[in-house]
Amino acid sequence: MPFTHRTTPAAEFPTVSPDIETPAQAADLSTMGRRGFLATALGGLSIAFALPDVGRVFGAKAAGGPTPQALASAYIRIGTDGTITLMFGGSEMGQGAKTGLGQILAEELMVDWRQVTVQQSPVDPIVTYITGGSSAVSGRYDNLRIAGAAARESLIAAAMLSSGDHTRANYSAASGAVTYTGGATAKSWLYKDLALAAASPAAQALVPTTLPLTDPSKFRIIGQSVQRVDIPSKTDGSAKFGIDIWFPNMVFAAIKHCPTVGGTLASTPQKPSGAIAVVPCTASDNRGLVVAGSVNAVAVVANNTWSAKNMANSLNVSWKLPASTATVDSTQLLAQAQTLLTASSGVLTAEPAPPAGSATTAAQQTGLVEPSVLATLGTPTVDATYVLPHLAHATLEVVNCTVRLTYDSTNKMVTLCEIWAPTQAANWVAGTALGLINAAPAQASNPLTAAGVVVNTTFLGGGLGRKIEQDYISQAVQVALAVKVPVKLTWSREEDMTNDNYRPMAVVNVKAKLSSGAISAWYLRNVSGSILGQRGWMAPGTVDSQAVEGAVGLPYSLGNHIVEWAPLNAGIPLGFWRSVGTSINAFAVECTIDELAQKAGLDPFVFRNSLVSDSRVKAVLAAASQMSSWRSSLPSGHAWGMAMAEWNGTIVCEVVDVSLQSGSLRVNRVACAVDCGQVINPNQVEAQMQGGIVHGLNAAMWGQITFTAGKANQKNFSNYRMIRPGEMPQITVQIVPSSASPSGTGEPGVPPIAPAIANAYSRLLNSRVRTLPFFPGATMGD
Amino acid sequence: MALLTLNVNGQTYTNVNVPDTGMPLLWLLRDILGLTGTKYGCGIEVCGACTVLVGGQAEKSCEFDVGSAVGKKIVTIEGLSPAGTQSHPVQKAWIANQVPQCGYCQSGMIMACVGAVNAGHHGTEILNEMGNLCVCGTYQRVRSAVSTL
Repeated sequence: MPFTHRTTPAAEFPTVSPDIETPAQAADLSTMGRRGFLATALGGLSIAFALPDVGRVFGAKAAGGPTPQALASAYIRIGTDGTITLMFGGSEMGQGAKTGLGQILAEELMVDWRQVTVQQSPVDPIVTYITGGSSAVSGRYDNLRIAGAAARESLIAAAMLSSGDHTRANYSAASGAVTYTGGATAKSWLYKDLALAAASPAAQALVPTTLPLTDPSKFRIIGQSVQRVDIPSKTDGSAKFGIDIWFPNMVFAAIKHCPTVGGTLASTPQKPSGAIAVVPCTASDNRGLVVAGSVNAVAVVANNTWSAKNMANSLNVSWKLPASTATVDSTQLLAQAQTLLTASSGVLTAEPAPPAGSATTAAQQTGLVEPSVLATLGTPTVDATYVLPHLAHATLEVVNCTVRLTYDSTNKMVTLCEIWAPTQAANWVAGTALGLINAAPAQASNPLTAAGVVVNTTFLGGGLGRKIEQDYISQAVQVALAVKVPVKLTWSREEDMTNDNYRPMAVVNVKAKLSSGAISAWYLRNVSGSILGQRGWMAPGTVDSQAVEGAVGLPYSLGNHIVEWAPLNAGIPLGFWRSVGTSINAFAVECTIDELAQKAGLDPFVFRNSLVSDSRVKAVLAAASQMSSWRSSLPSGHAWGMAMAEWNGTIVCEVVDVSLQSGSLRVNRVACAVDCGQVINPNQVEAQMQGGIVHGLNAAMWGQITFTAGKANQKNFSNYRMIRPGEMPQITVQIVPSSASPSGTGEPGVPPIAPAIANAYSRLLNSRVRTLPFFPGATMGD
Repeated sequence: MALLTLNVNGQTYTNVNVPDTGMPLLWLLRDILGLTGTKYGCGIEVCGACTVLVGGQAEKSCEFDVGSAVGKKIVTIEGLSPAGTQSHPVQKAWIANQVPQCGYCQSGMIMACVGAVNAGHHGTEILNEMGNLCVCGTYQRVRSAVSTL
């Protein structure tokens, strides 16, 4: 079926450098932003400005492939009624984005943070909103400040018009008012009374070309632990998640996928008694384009979710299974990965990068550099192989999507498509819907335009990288097109866990040589599937930035070194799991460093400190060491371990105290030091560190999805164990003061915890633990 | 199909049409009564996102037979305090300690806590009674909130 294809990802994104954090570039953006400002008089001052919505997943660090980045519009509105609104196109999934953004705007606008309302904006059809890469707040910091300053200066300009004195120094803005002190008596105007005039060309002409930003030493709101704006609604049931969308006349759908990855529907099953419809659903790719001929699921529509879910469960479906499931089988994949660990072909060099202008390919680099490193290594001091499993996202809110279509009088042509979804990628949702709707013959003469799709991003009951995917969105639109009434598709937990885009499994070998207490040679080879390659988001034959992050650009002095990646041909759908590749590589790197420290007879802190020169890293290490002074007086039967990782500019070091309790490992406490640059809201930094630590701890202890002959074996929390409230370690978080630009906090708390626990556990056992999870096969009851 | 009378959040619902034999309380609350504060997480009584009070006791509603709730007072997160007030002591403790992140598990978390308090538990006993899963990892703040009750 010829579906209308959207523009290719590469063409769709403007190629704007995502690195906006340096002052020089911020100044450039200020100029560029000025050109983009629109001042209009629709009920007050509106300022549209460019916000970089940096989905890290598309990679500032991406090597070779397209680095699609987007500029997303945002709007500040200062109303004549006194309201101050920031329209936010991203996703609130627990990270406090709305609160943090409100704080930044309030700071530059010189108002109380409570006066700023951050409102979810509908999707803009021409730009992309991706919430990922821990960038929701930090990635918008510079531009939001500039835009806030532009709004403030516009208001001051309106006051200048009113008083006739155009000397900027005679004006100040505070508490939502502009005050003039140039005359005999001070004059003051409320923002709401300036809002109309501020938008006038006369006022805009008075706005300085260089917008003065608030000196960080004078911040009143940035850096304060203001209360999260969304929390009250999350204590009384009123917060609306995607799964809560409800209309009086809606129907409810459940899904049944082919349990074998790659299988397709052999024949449409009969509609069960009591069901409203049975709808075969075509698979979609990661951008919502349907995969022609691949009907991999069946939706069952009923009067309520329970009935739909039950009927889908017991539906007797005949599937056409793939010819081979060799790449969808954990045992076979592990064997293939182990072969690739020592293979001499199919290996790419990630570091050192080929010399600038050199025609040396990554593969040639392996041939050139690897022998030199191996020669220096001689007999390695440590030669360790780490094995990490596939992981599910297991967001507590299963994926779901509600679609309401409005038809013209012929009831054949869609004139409006409204979507409610917990999504990290609202713009892609719109594209997914448009492609499906316009594929219908009835739309051919009059295709639905982007303006005809309204995407409402609800609260997300966890995103974790899962909810940028389009599979569930595409299915819901397909069902809506079939039944023509509002429909909510809700996956069961079992479907959610067995049809995820998984954190890749990986096998990582590290060989390192210790000479006189320092590292003289380092060899790391990561064998893992390619998240970007699987999606066609990078050029073939290049290194997947996601696979090697956390293994390259390390702060340690490693001597003669090489980092290689051997792509594993995994047929399992792969995705962006909180902290992505660093969740894998930090485990290998930090366990190896710890082992080297042990061989050198040095304290792990002392050893690491001797290998780094970056003052920020040193400060984080020092803070973590100081925070964990308890490690010198641990009770018998306890052991401590530490690890650190840098993730997109944020440096985190974690120290754990573990002990064995009735045969199982218990993490008693965690000390966490973090440098995330300028802090917006310390309370939220703490929350994100706590959350990241729990996320990584669950995975290290018990997390794994294994596949047998194409099928995922873990289907629910009963065998995907996580800690319970009573098992929570005591976590202490210390923010290391930093004047660096803000960097994200959603993900960087994750990578250090698994190696920190492994290093402690290894001391406890007096034997190195190199395979995750520590306790496979764990179960949970009620 | 059965027609039942249920008392939810102090309100009597008569002739509640239970469309499917065996429909648990969770889906009746969410899809029939439109009370969506109670969440679906696992459907097998492991995660606790669906916890409500039945006769004052915390119950996981995802496998709770609707028939057994007849004649008992059912309280969901929406009925814990007058709408918009968040005035129940547990809600207040949750806000004061800034517990929720994504917030999805928190209805069940709060109801489980209320149930444990109702059952006469104190301090860490409450925490151990609450088996709720929070994927965001808000447990430390849950512990802080519980310690103030």
